[in-house]
Amino acid sequence: MRTIRRGLRSIIRSPLRTGLLVAVLAVSVGLTLVMITVNAAFSDRLDEIKGEVGSDVTVRPAGSFGGGFFRGAFGGGAPGGGDDAGTDSALTDGNIDEVTSSIDNIAGVSRSLTVPYTGEGLESAPLDLPEGFTPPEGAGGFTRPILVTGTDNPNSLTTLGVTDPELLAGRTFNDDEAEAAVAVVGATLAEGNGLAVGDTFEMEDTSFEVVGIFTTGTQFGDNSVFLPLETAQALFDREGEIDQAIIQAESVDHAERVADDIRELLGEDVVDVSTQLSLFAGISGPLSDAESSSQIGMIAALVASAAVILFSVGLVARQRVKEIGILKSIGASNWHITAQFGIETATLSVVAALLGALATFPLAQSVANGLVSDPATPGGFGGDGPGGFRGGGPGGFAGGQIVGDGGGFAGVGGAGGLLGDVDVAVSPEIFLYALGIALVLAVVASVVPAWYAARVKPAEVLRYE
Amino acid sequence: MNEQINEDSFITVAEGLTKHFKSGPVTVKAVDGVSFRLPRGKLVALRGPSGCGKSTLLNLIGALDKPDAGNLTVDGVDVTSLSAGGEAVYRRQKVGFVFQQFNLIPHLSAIENVTLPMEFAGHGTNGSWELRARQILEQVGLTQDRHVRRPAKLSGGEQQRVAIARALANDPPVVLADEPTANLDSKTGQLIVDLLHNLRAKDRTVLIATHDEAIASTADIILEMRDGRLLAND
Repeated sequence: MRTIRRGLRSIIRSPLRTGLLVAVLAVSVGLTLVMITVNAAFSDRLDEIKGEVGSDVTVRPAGSFGGGFFRGAFGGGAPGGGDDAGTDSALTDGNIDEVTSSIDNIAGVSRSLTVPYTGEGLESAPLDLPEGFTPPEGAGGFTRPILVTGTDNPNSLTTLGVTDPELLAGRTFNDDEAEAAVAVVGATLAEGNGLAVGDTFEMEDTSFEVVGIFTTGTQFGDNSVFLPLETAQALFDREGEIDQAIIQAESVDHAERVADDIRELLGEDVVDVSTQLSLFAGISGPLSDAESSSQIGMIAALVASAAVILFSVGLVARQRVKEIGILKSIGASNWHITAQFGIETATLSVVAALLGALATFPLAQSVANGLVSDPATPGGFGGDGPGGFRGGGPGGFAGGQIVGDGGGFAGVGGAGGLLGDVDVAVSPEIFLYALGIALVLAVVASVVPAWYAARVKPAEVLRYE
Repeated sequence: MNEQINEDSFITVAEGLTKHFKSGPVTVKAVDGVSFRLPRGKLVALRGPSGCGKSTLLNLIGALDKPDAGNLTVDGVDVTSLSAGGEAVYRRQKVGFVFQQFNLIPHLSAIENVTLPMEFAGHGTNGSWELRARQILEQVGLTQDRHVRRPAKLSGGEQQRVAIARALANDPPVVLADEPTANLDSKTGQLIVDLLHNLRAKDRTVLIATHDEAIASTADIILEMRDGRLLAND
């Protein structure tokens, strides 16, 4: 207790020196704490982004950018028809079976085949043209293509980039309806053809029962039909063929590995394989860079703190070498001396660390903003706009149709950015970190007085005084 | 020395004690093969001119320095073979040191300076240390109003009284005083010498290094030193 009291009194006997030391130390410890806080915020944000990205790996026939929509339009087959597809590099169920049996870390697979239908039995709704848009002369009627998507995953219907559209009535397919003539119809298409749940309609001379009606909120999405995959394959005479498979990796961290394995297994001349992670890598890049910078800054600030306190304690111990000699001459052990200096150092460290912790609250957000080169990247993938490249598009510009607002580069300019602003919340735990750092610094710095205590020979330091 | 005296009555026994210092190419023989025996309860004056090795010899006896050769036993402790920890225990139990420059801790009060060795020894409580420190301070003639003053607020004589009180804190059998009056006026110096004479009670041995003939003449034993060697025992 007396050692503690003596240590504290030693601190206050030179207020200017103590004040300067605490100030410098508070800055460096504060910077360390700011970096710890900012680094944690960046790390959390990156984890959030990873969570948003998901673990899906999309597999499509090579060169089929946009899936059936573009294949139908430009693939060499007759556009807009049921048997239109250019099948230069078809993707088959066999391919996907090979993938699932050969590659590890796959949690699930869903396959789909999307075909634009312009045959008889269903009337497509007219297209709502963008305001101010005047169609070219002789371009024909602007009618939405009817997209018929066969899927083996009725629990996660996806069309034109919209996943899990809202079911307005009825249901999706049951497990025992893999080859049944049942359909889930988009709201616009159902309305245009007077269809309700339980009604039937004809397509390619086959009668389908409407089991559900859904809405995506988009023109193209609501003008589409879902069928069981095998039913669609049989209907359009494309048995065993799909135009997209979504391979779900076990985790985000496995997605790239699974994608690479698929490319290697099936060949890049056969399939195009993409992950959302690779698309998001560019966006999260600045955040990753900032995270690295904050780590380096944290280490540098910590080293600076240690250097400051080591240098200061070294200086103080050197100035007080006579005192050490006197203490030893009257019976102080090396431990007594180290303890007294250790208490002084610990007190200084704790005070400085607490001041540094307080400074973290107003500074952390500014530092975070400064570290992220573009913290508020606008738009980007994952915005709430519709469509996107995911999930095979419709059948192209069949019959002079044009693509309206539904498809394309949805999300660009959508609400918020994926990166967004990094909110740095400074929690009270920062004081625990501060205390931890202070104690570590005190322990590190106590090496100096311990060294002096062991090295000082009382006879020498008192002789030359 | 009196051959009739029993071996146990010698508090300090030195045999061939040697301490040399290197100063560039020159070797200074500060203590050069010194042997002596000091009985208990005596005031011993170590006399000689400046630089003859008095302080070095005191430092060796006080374990503030290590000898290059020779043996030294103080109150049954072989001082030359002590570890660092052992030296600390020896300094706090067996010897009390009084310096020419007083060497008090400047930011501690007189009483705190005196309690320090007790605290290092670890026996007792804060209360008992303070009580004993006050008793010793009064014993050496420091009035109570001076007990809580820092050294800078005390006169030279008062500071030396505090230093003596500190040396007595753990009641050591040997008190070593290195030129204790050199920084004091003659009147105050005499008071300090009188005080040191009084310390012989309880069979305590007081060894004073001095070049002051007047002080040396009052000692029970005089050791004369020249060029690191003892010339004669008186």
